[in-house]
Amino acid sequence: MTAAPAVAESRAAQTTAAPKRRRRARLPILNLAGAVVVSAAVLYVAFFPAPGLPALGPAFNPTTGAWSMAADAQVTDRMLHLQGLQRPVRVVLEKDGTAHITAQTDHDLFLATGYVHARFRLFQMDLLRRQGAGRLSEVVGKVALDVDRFELQLGLLRTAQLEWSQLPESDPSRGALLAYAQGVNDRIKEAKDAHQLDGMFKLLGYEPQPWTPIDSLLVKGDMTQTLNFTDTPLAMSLLYKSLGADLAQEWFPILPPNQQSPYDPGPYPKPTAPQPIASMEAPTSAAALPDVKPLYDKLAALPLGLVSRSGGASNNWAVAGAKSTSGGALLAGDPHLHLTLPAIWFQLTMDSPTVHVAGVSIPGTPVVLIGHNEHIAWSLTDAQNQQTFYYVEKEDPSHPDAYFWNGSWKPYTTVSYDIPVLGGPTQHVKVRWSVHGPVITDKGQTTAVWWAGNIPSQDLGVLLAVDRASNWTEFRDALRGWYSPTHNFVYADDQGHIGLISAGYYPQVAKGQPWLPMPGTGESDVVGTIPFDEIPQVFDPPDNVIWSANQRQVTRDYPYYIGTTSNFFDAGYRANEIHLVLSQKNKLSATNMQALQTDTRDYLAAQVVPVLLRSLARGKTDAKEAPAIALLKAWDYRMETDSAAATIWSYFWSYYMAETFDPWWKSRGVTVPRADEIEDALVQDLEAWTLRDPDNRTFSAPGVGSRTAPEAQLTAFHKAMTALFKLGPGAGSWKWGRVHTRTIENLADVSGLNYGPRADRGDSNTPLAAGGFPSTHGPSWRMVVDWGTHTFQGVYPGGQSENPASAWYTNRVDTWWTGDLSPMLSAQQAATGSGIRTWDLQP
Amino acid sequence: MRLYVSLLLAALLALAGVLLGFWWAPFPVGLAVGVVDRRARITVPAGAAIGLLSWAVPLAVTHARYGLGLTAQSLAAIMGFGHQGALPIALTLVVGTLLGLTGAWLAGAARRVVAPSARVDAARNG
Repeated sequence: MTAAPAVAESRAAQTTAAPKRRRRARLPILNLAGAVVVSAAVLYVAFFPAPGLPALGPAFNPTTGAWSMAADAQVTDRMLHLQGLQRPVRVVLEKDGTAHITAQTDHDLFLATGYVHARFRLFQMDLLRRQGAGRLSEVVGKVALDVDRFELQLGLLRTAQLEWSQLPESDPSRGALLAYAQGVNDRIKEAKDAHQLDGMFKLLGYEPQPWTPIDSLLVKGDMTQTLNFTDTPLAMSLLYKSLGADLAQEWFPILPPNQQSPYDPGPYPKPTAPQPIASMEAPTSAAALPDVKPLYDKLAALPLGLVSRSGGASNNWAVAGAKSTSGGALLAGDPHLHLTLPAIWFQLTMDSPTVHVAGVSIPGTPVVLIGHNEHIAWSLTDAQNQQTFYYVEKEDPSHPDAYFWNGSWKPYTTVSYDIPVLGGPTQHVKVRWSVHGPVITDKGQTTAVWWAGNIPSQDLGVLLAVDRASNWTEFRDALRGWYSPTHNFVYADDQGHIGLISAGYYPQVAKGQPWLPMPGTGESDVVGTIPFDEIPQVFDPPDNVIWSANQRQVTRDYPYYIGTTSNFFDAGYRANEIHLVLSQKNKLSATNMQALQTDTRDYLAAQVVPVLLRSLARGKTDAKEAPAIALLKAWDYRMETDSAAATIWSYFWSYYMAETFDPWWKSRGVTVPRADEIEDALVQDLEAWTLRDPDNRTFSAPGVGSRTAPEAQLTAFHKAMTALFKLGPGAGSWKWGRVHTRTIENLADVSGLNYGPRADRGDSNTPLAAGGFPSTHGPSWRMVVDWGTHTFQGVYPGGQSENPASAWYTNRVDTWWTGDLSPMLSAQQAATGSGIRTWDLQP
Repeated sequence: MRLYVSLLLAALLALAGVLLGFWWAPFPVGLAVGVVDRRARITVPAGAAIGLLSWAVPLAVTHARYGLGLTAQSLAAIMGFGHQGALPIALTLVVGTLLGLTGAWLAGAARRVVAPSARVDAARNG
């Protein structure tokens, strides 16, 4: 080898090594860049929330993050110190989670109740107060902005603040609310210190603020809104415009067209001032009605529960001692609400020197709403009378920010609110108030809403007095202060007495048609309410039974306006069935009460199916339809999961409604959905025409020609059969449970934490209320009391804990589903039970 | 041996931090590991292991004391994964692992830029 090639080789090697070195020199830079990018990404998702994801670090921190749900789910014997307690308090938790609180002072009782509620339901309580205060966007982002804006417009926060400011220093409920708030705050502090806030707080990345008495009043306001804030006058206005006044008045009358079972048959007193409003005799000019479509659309777009569209669907009744097998009065109650996990209810007993009460409370409030004490028991259903009125304000550009009222221009009162929004800028909302209430339109006709829920009322004080009442007089007197929502309070006592009173405001207007938006110029204002002694009520009736199921409480002779069929009394089938069962000659027992609560007989079906069968016998049917007809003939009208006839009936009725009304909806361009309270009114019409007016003009809809009820029934039946054959060829296989299910929904809308869907019995007409596909509303608490044997039983579908990892999240559902009840033990009885947990709360 | 002891101490430090609520502890501990030892093939896996251990041990303790099954299923449901409880557990462990890993990686990478290795320096100097 010569030197020259070697040098050349060396040079060549140097020329190829240089880029390699440069590449090698660049590698650390690239490596660092990669490390920086990946580290930044990891740290970002660890520290900050991304769309649809919480900040992963704190949320999944294995020590203090959402995994602490596992520790929170454990309930053990404890001794703990609570700030603000005056004396020791004992809490006994039954095996199923029912809490028994025994305190030596009232203050301590309410404080401990706040602590116990917050221990098991703090996230639910926080959601409820945020909903009422318009602060949901702060934790869930702009998705809740419309809800927050609406809530602040409606005024729950303002009302709660007024109620608190107007509460006298000496009022017992003031002390109760303050002590309760202290107990909640004791738990918040403890949970923060122990890193045991509910997992949802961790996942949403926020901590609860201290609880205040106003928060409790907001929770009460939420319930009032859910039960009786309606948009029905707006819907009715649109129906008048599209259908015409004559049809609208015929289909949506004040008094029900069908046979119902009012519990207060009269005689009624002559009306005292204020005067009842005019009847619906004078047709309203549809053309003169204001344009409320934008407002209706706005309210229709709000989530379920903010606007009541069918009121409640609840049952309660009582049987006097004279008619019970035990000799003591019987009481049964099952308020029907949106069934959620956690439930709206928390079961407990509260004992102090002046309070001895057992039943269910709403977390966030310091009282038992439904239950019993040592002498009386009570339950409630929604009374359904109209408590929401809409006023169209007269405005003029020459008078900005003013409205014309009683002959002069008045300035609106304006209130401004800030709405913090997670991940976005704070929003501002300006709310204008007229004398009628808040203006709730953003565009279109300026409309204010008069809602009884906006009247400051001391309902918690009323309930405290109810909890302490020992006889009908005290019970009834306590309810004088109850304004909204109007409830049918059923009563039974240890002396064999029973009573029912539909307590609350029954607003009366000076003039006009309150089922429609009214002029805001003064002549149609609310001028008062029906005097307390004249509201529907009975005590110890001669037939020894009383009942309510959201039906109109009074007959057509009652001299006051209380609402229409669509605004929004129930169609009456549950009440009729309950009345039918209670009216039997035999004496009744607690077992009968329990059976009636899960009664699945459809009263409407019992009325209509015989008529349908006659129509089918006279008309032309297909041989394939014969088995279905045979099933209907043999049916006992019970909506049981294994009943095929129940499915046939349900399909038929649905098609019959559509056959009768859909052509009108289509031809008249009706934009209001045929659903909810509108459907409730139409069902009554169709029942009445089917039974007594088969030639009604409604059957001869535009486009279908002249037709009678039997002809419409035949067409509907054939259509129902066509749809049913898609379920399978054999009619016997069309079991109700295949098409009808029930779901208990997670309160935070996490579908994976729902219970169900599971096949279930009942429908919207049966005492065991189960309307909808799937049914999501129903008996939220069932209670049966027998004063003769001093037995108290109850159950709700859910569990005491909101923690889905807890054994007390759904532990009561199966008992409820099968229609069973659990004993409602006293604190003493519970203390000797097996599997209990005891907390000693010390000052 | 000194290396193993150092890594063990680092893991204990990260674990103590996590137990005290400082969930991000594996990241600075990983940084420290990456600074102290320049061998990426050792420090990066070690950082990952430290992150994994410091998040896994508290989770295992919680499981031993209370059981994690229902909690994991609930978290999966909340996250939209049905009832696949393994997924939130895996996600949790991945977060811990990544915190330790990125800490070690970032420190090692920075060190190689700021203070290149002796071999590279020697090569440059001829």
